[in-house]
Amino acid sequence: MEFPNHHRSIVEDLMAGKFLLPQDRTYQVLKEHEQSYTYFFKASFNYELRLTQDYAYLVSEESQEMLSRDICIFIALLSYELDRDGKNFIERIQFSEFEVEEIENYFTNSAYIDLILSNKQLKDTDSRKNFINTLNRRNIIEKTGDNRFIFTSAHKFFMDFACDIVKYENAEKEE
Amino acid sequence: MKAEPKTILRFLLEHYEVIAELFETQANEGIIPHEVLTQIIAKHESDIRSQLLEYKILSPVNDNYEIRTVYYNLIEFILSEFKPMLPETIEKYHTSIAELFRKIKENINGDKVTLSQRLNDLAIEIRSFYEMVERNTQSLLQETRELKANVKKIDYREKIVRASRWIDEYILPLNKILDINHSASVANKLYEISEYSNKYRLNFDDENSRQQFERLYFQLIQVNDNLLRQSKILTNELLPLIERIRTESIILTGWITFLKNPYKRKVPKLLKRKEVSIYSNETFFNASEIFEQFKNEVDVYFEEDVIDSEKWIFDKDHYTKKLKDNLPVENFFKWCSTTLKEDYKKVEIEKFFALTILAFDEDIERDYGKKAEFDKIKINDLTLTVPKLTIEKQNGIS
Repeated sequence: MEFPNHHRSIVEDLMAGKFLLPQDRTYQVLKEHEQSYTYFFKASFNYELRLTQDYAYLVSEESQEMLSRDICIFIALLSYELDRDGKNFIERIQFSEFEVEEIENYFTNSAYIDLILSNKQLKDTDSRKNFINTLNRRNIIEKTGDNRFIFTSAHKFFMDFACDIVKYENAEKEE
Repeated sequence: MKAEPKTILRFLLEHYEVIAELFETQANEGIIPHEVLTQIIAKHESDIRSQLLEYKILSPVNDNYEIRTVYYNLIEFILSEFKPMLPETIEKYHTSIAELFRKIKENINGDKVTLSQRLNDLAIEIRSFYEMVERNTQSLLQETRELKANVKKIDYREKIVRASRWIDEYILPLNKILDINHSASVANKLYEISEYSNKYRLNFDDENSRQQFERLYFQLIQVNDNLLRQSKILTNELLPLIERIRTESIILTGWITFLKNPYKRKVPKLLKRKEVSIYSNETFFNASEIFEQFKNEVDVYFEEDVIDSEKWIFDKDHYTKKLKDNLPVENFFKWCSTTLKEDYKKVEIEKFFALTILAFDEDIERDYGKKAEFDKIKINDLTLTVPKLTIEKQNGIS
């Protein structure tokens, strides 16, 4: 039985909950063999492979994943604070580098401080530092220095979710 | 109109503030209510109501007023404050231009005076059309930039509604009007007229009409260039800008809705990472992999650094004897310091403290004095404050 190149990396990275990104060789291979990998993950682990033009990832129906919620809260707060600060938040998140200190400033002075303090992964500087490392491991951000990072195209996964909220609410109103 | 043109222009200049305010009222409300006119005039303390009517700047509409179109357009132009027009309003030029063009084509060999008049009218319509398009693009751009900067602090939902309305009702239809490849567009009609006038400016028996076709042709070249520029502004600048406002507002509205109740809403699923459990089947292999790393370990020895300096040991017998020989000692702590300084070049604090324990010797008798007195003793860099203690004699010796 023959597998495509980088098969092991593809499986290991996706099974570790990472997003594969278009600039990765693994993503390209995955895209070329999308159909067979979709079948492979479904048949082997009952996981669903989702591949878009910005990222690829695995999802399982029974997962009780809390990280996704915390990431949503993190990006939601950051977007809100950037906008409040008069910045174009989409462009900032899409194209610019962030300093951890900047994130700290936004979070410590946020109007959503109660929400932040009640969240285990975001409540203080150390937790946030660990959280940023988790985002890095999942390929949602890419560290560009000890205290600097950029968002990868995987952030669009969460931005799409924000759009869906509005669409869902509008659809509900129309009904 | 009886008034001289210069008088009217001077009047407009002198009372510009009043007229600008009236213009603003009409721009916002569509009409100037009677009481508002009275208020504005009173505010500026200039009773010019009769002149406004006499110079036909205002015209009465029932009990209210409105600025006549010609003045309204002039002020609008001066202030560059155009409201975006619905493309339907611009679209009407398609009918008027097409109709004039049809009549010109059909009666090309007819009465030359009528032809000349029609060519004139066509040129005027084309100019009006272009000016309206230009105004609309500029005003849309201005409104969009204002929306982007959110000068009026409108909320995100309203922003989405506005951006969507401008795209659907203004920008896309306007773009259609300017699309030269669209057969029903005004731009396409103008292109057709341009080709037609190009043909007749070179080949027509009447000299005057030939010149008119020539002027029309060059006007159309200019207009087509300008329309292309406007079309580019729409597609390259305005549409992406407004699309971004819309997307941005949608995402932010989504996030704000989410943050209202972040733990109750369903979130997108991610794969939960498989933790390595110590009960797993691979435990044995994982553990052996770790231990294998230590198979070929090399012994590493650490040697403690040898301390060169000799350790000082307190010779209690020697100093007890010395104390007893010196009895009575008037100031015990001073004696300690002096004795040590005699024996050593450098006196460390631990030597001093070691010596002071002699004061607790049971064989000696201590006198603390009736009143507490203190001395200062310097040992190296340290200054100690110590009580004055006198050792009189040995117990049992008289």
